[in-house]
Amino acid sequence: MADFPSLARAGHAAHCLRCLSALPSSQTEVDASRLALAFYCIGSLDLLGVLQEKTTPTDRESWREWVWEQQTSGQHGSGFKPSPFMTAPPQAPGEAYTNYDTPHIIMTYTALLSLAILRDDFSRLDRPGLLRFIRSCQRENGSFSTVPGSNETDLRTLYCAFAISCMLDDWSAIDKDRAIAFIASCRSYEGGYGQAPFCEAQGGTTYIAIASLHLVPRTSSPLTPAERQLTMRWLVHNQADSGGFCGRTGKDADACYCFWAGAALQILGAKDLVQSRSLTMFLAKCQFKYGGIAKAPGEHPDPYHTYLSLAALSMYSPNLEPNHPSAASWRFDPLDPLLNAREETSQWARKHVPGHKV
Amino acid sequence: MPTLTSSSTSSLGDVLGLYSQRQEWSDVTPLPQYEEANPAAPIFYSEEYKDATDYFRGIVRTGEKSQRVLELTETIIRLNPAHYSAWQYRYETLLAINAPLDVELKLMDELAVSFLKTYQVWHHRRLLLTITRNPAPELAFIAASLKVDAKNYHTWSYRQWLLAFFNDDDLWAGELDFVDAMLAQDVRNNSAWHHRFFVVFQSGLREGETDRGRVIRRELTYVKQNISLVASNPSAWNYLRGILDANHLPYTRVEEFVKPYAASTQDTSTTDLVDLENPPPPRGAELPCAPAIEFLADIFEKEGGKDGVRKASELWRSLADEYDKIRKKYWEYRIREALQTVQE
Ligand SMILES: [Zn+2]
Repeated sequence: MADFPSLARAGHAAHCLRCLSALPSSQTEVDASRLALAFYCIGSLDLLGVLQEKTTPTDRESWREWVWEQQTSGQHGSGFKPSPFMTAPPQAPGEAYTNYDTPHIIMTYTALLSLAILRDDFSRLDRPGLLRFIRSCQRENGSFSTVPGSNETDLRTLYCAFAISCMLDDWSAIDKDRAIAFIASCRSYEGGYGQAPFCEAQGGTTYIAIASLHLVPRTSSPLTPAERQLTMRWLVHNQADSGGFCGRTGKDADACYCFWAGAALQILGAKDLVQSRSLTMFLAKCQFKYGGIAKAPGEHPDPYHTYLSLAALSMYSPNLEPNHPSAASWRFDPLDPLLNAREETSQWARKHVPGHKV
Repeated sequence: MPTLTSSSTSSLGDVLGLYSQRQEWSDVTPLPQYEEANPAAPIFYSEEYKDATDYFRGIVRTGEKSQRVLELTETIIRLNPAHYSAWQYRYETLLAINAPLDVELKLMDELAVSFLKTYQVWHHRRLLLTITRNPAPELAFIAASLKVDAKNYHTWSYRQWLLAFFNDDDLWAGELDFVDAMLAQDVRNNSAWHHRFFVVFQSGLREGETDRGRVIRRELTYVKQNISLVASNPSAWNYLRGILDANHLPYTRVEEFVKPYAASTQDTSTTDLVDLENPPPPRGAELPCAPAIEFLADIFEKEGGKDGVRKASELWRSLADEYDKIRKKYWEYRIREALQTVQE
């Protein structure tokens, strides 16, 4: 017990700050999802509770400006694009976006959370446009596309549409029943959910399904008792002997699934079934020597696995004695598992994203 | 068979130089990325990527759809396979100029292997197939890319989509043999087990599959035989549960089969007599195996009453304390829940 390692909080914050300042060309693949990467970095600082102390008001102001610059309007409504990766100098002020530079539903979700973390007042949010954008993403089968008109669709985009509707406190843009039917069609015999109908049960999409079902306001319980039991069973069986969670039956443990499975279990009211000490020990071993958390011990870190590991640690602690030398390093503020943000941030979003209702 | 070359991120640009230096592109005005705010997480683009995307933004502004756009988008995709706008524009260009899609699919055979984990590669392929409507050769292509990564999620999803979308008896015909071959390589491959479940129970009835009683017997025999090869294989046990759940059959149906796997000693006296219904654990298997104990406990719990709950609780207790300690809290939860049912 005495040798339980510490969480290298300062190192993880430094990793995220480094990524926010610049990414090497080897990271070119995030060009079309840069806003999500920025969210993982800013979000990590928020979970660590060091945003005020490690960044200046100027830093935060410039990130907010950058995120707002990604809000874009056009024929399918308004939302946020991943980055200016497809944006050319405008020919006229207030020019509408092209079909190749539209808002993206996953980026829009991460933009709203990033702005909430930065305590923006959301006075610049185009709410009617945002509702129009979400509506234009829903497809015949109830699922949502990443960008309007695309065939690229899976459960992730549905979750984002739900989370945005929840933050807006306005569900008028989506057909809930068809969306819920789509979720049900992704359920697998194992008790988890796949990315699309007929796909193998996977931890990330199972979180997405469970969180979505619990985000939507409804009176009846979203799962039957038998379904809930089976999902819980599958989730807890994915905790490997190493303490980490794997994403699918029989795969290796990966830090991000500690969040996806851990959060799904918390939403299902089954948080106590996780072997918390082993889980945190696994994440401790995923720490990279020079900061950041990797998907598995010995791998290289990235903001995605860093954020999700810290989010998992916001729910699960090693339960050390209070006077244990490492105890303080594992202490976190509570997390809202439904929106995947620190509770205070989630409350800010729920309060300010809807704006003043007339 | 696609050529399984290693990742070729080098592009045509290596040979032909930057677009800004090529005479045949001089009529295009390159457009830089426009960003006013101080960027968050800026990427240090390579000169090659910056050059190609500048020309791409220029092309998008004029709306040109031509052969050379295919070259340009290929350059970008090789440098950044997640550039979904380049994919989208490429797809529209292929249609606009009536490009031969078999050539495109050949290129995709190569790119799919280089960028196996990129969603867009598979998405683009789906779009192409909905036009060519020639799914048969895809099965061999998928089998070949699973040789590179046998559990790749995109690859399996693509196979499931292909079968469900075209829903052609000839396509389905070889699927059980295919799963067999995959499991022969790795009996613990959950993706293959899942695929079998999809083929047998999720995809509707097909020729030869209408006699459900026979199909269920066949599947039970299949999974039992696999468990008798490797006893502690959670994927196979989940499949067994899946068969019974999907067909509303009681777990007691396989009680006789499960018992020896939940026993701590192997009964060697009967091993000469092979019972096909109940193939015994493999010789030297580490017994009891946790999934069998869990299964048997579920049977006892279902049986109910004080006696059933007591027997189930003993098994859960053995999992919590000895055979599956990582899930100790879960097994203790099962004990608590079951006890409540008999205390009322
Ligand atoms: Zn991961």
